[in-house]
Amino acid sequence: MDLKIRKHSETYIIDVNGEMDLYNSYKLKELVMKMLEKKVEQFVINMENVDYIDSSGIGALIYICSTIKKMNLKLIICNIHGSVKKVIELTKLMGYFPIAGTVDEAIQKITTV
Amino acid sequence: MSQEPIKEILINENHPLFDKTGMFSKEFPSDFRQIRYFTLLIVQKAPPEIKEINLLEQQISEIIKNAVKHGNRNNPDKKIRIWYSFSTSHAHLIVQDEGEGFQGIEEWNAFNRKRVQLFQEQNFDELGNFVSYRTQRSDEHDGGNAMFAAIEYWNDGVVYNTARNAVAVGKTFPLRRVGVDIGS
Repeated sequence: MDLKIRKHSETYIIDVNGEMDLYNSYKLKELVMKMLEKKVEQFVINMENVDYIDSSGIGALIYICSTIKKMNLKLIICNIHGSVKKVIELTKLMGYFPIAGTVDEAIQKITTV
Repeated sequence: MSQEPIKEILINENHPLFDKTGMFSKEFPSDFRQIRYFTLLIVQKAPPEIKEINLLEQQISEIIKNAVKHGNRNNPDKKIRIWYSFSTSHAHLIVQDEGEGFQGIEEWNAFNRKRVQLFQEQNFDELGNFVSYRTQRSDEHDGGNAMFAAIEYWNDGVVYNTARNAVAVGKTFPLRRVGVDIGS
């Protein structure tokens, strides 16, 4: 799994590339925690290039989401598709995660909420 | 609108899902680093129609991970044994470890009932407290959600034996129509 960060105004977009599995999901968690230490307040996690997620990956997203919610900061997860979407649906987390269709929609949502 | 009954993990080693007739089997060491590789060795026997890209692989990987990590606690001297059977309309798996068994099944079922009730009520604030099932042995890499998806995915059931160290799961897939309509 490879993580890239880009910035749009005050929003930081994390592009996740590859598989979020039991061996590497901690990397996303660690990255977001480091960004929180650096006082980042608005996050978009772009899952466009993620075609596989397991319970560790879902766990990482839950941890990130609950941490950001507790800190009253902003997060949107976008471009969830295929089996990743199916696993999130099976886990009944579609209403729990703040979700948008695309990066553009996520940025729009995050700046208007 | 009526809600579907909430599914539960069962304990019944006489359940039809424990019938190993006609199933293939493989044995693996409890090597955490090789869990996805072991999974691929099993899932490669499944026809593409039921793989749903990689959903079947992901669900099987979770069950193998539970056996290796939570059952055998990554002890390389302990093995896991997997029985499996696939067709274009079904997937059936039994995974047995050499551990002490999943003693928290009743607690997990109670936790899951509450979680599903909150989801049905669309109470997402409170649901936030029920998104991850954790025990004293859970570590930071455990998502605590694998069985939530498993209980929904394996639509023929998730059943443990009496010792609680073997789990049998099954899924029936809808048969796909072959051919095209030519109109009347």
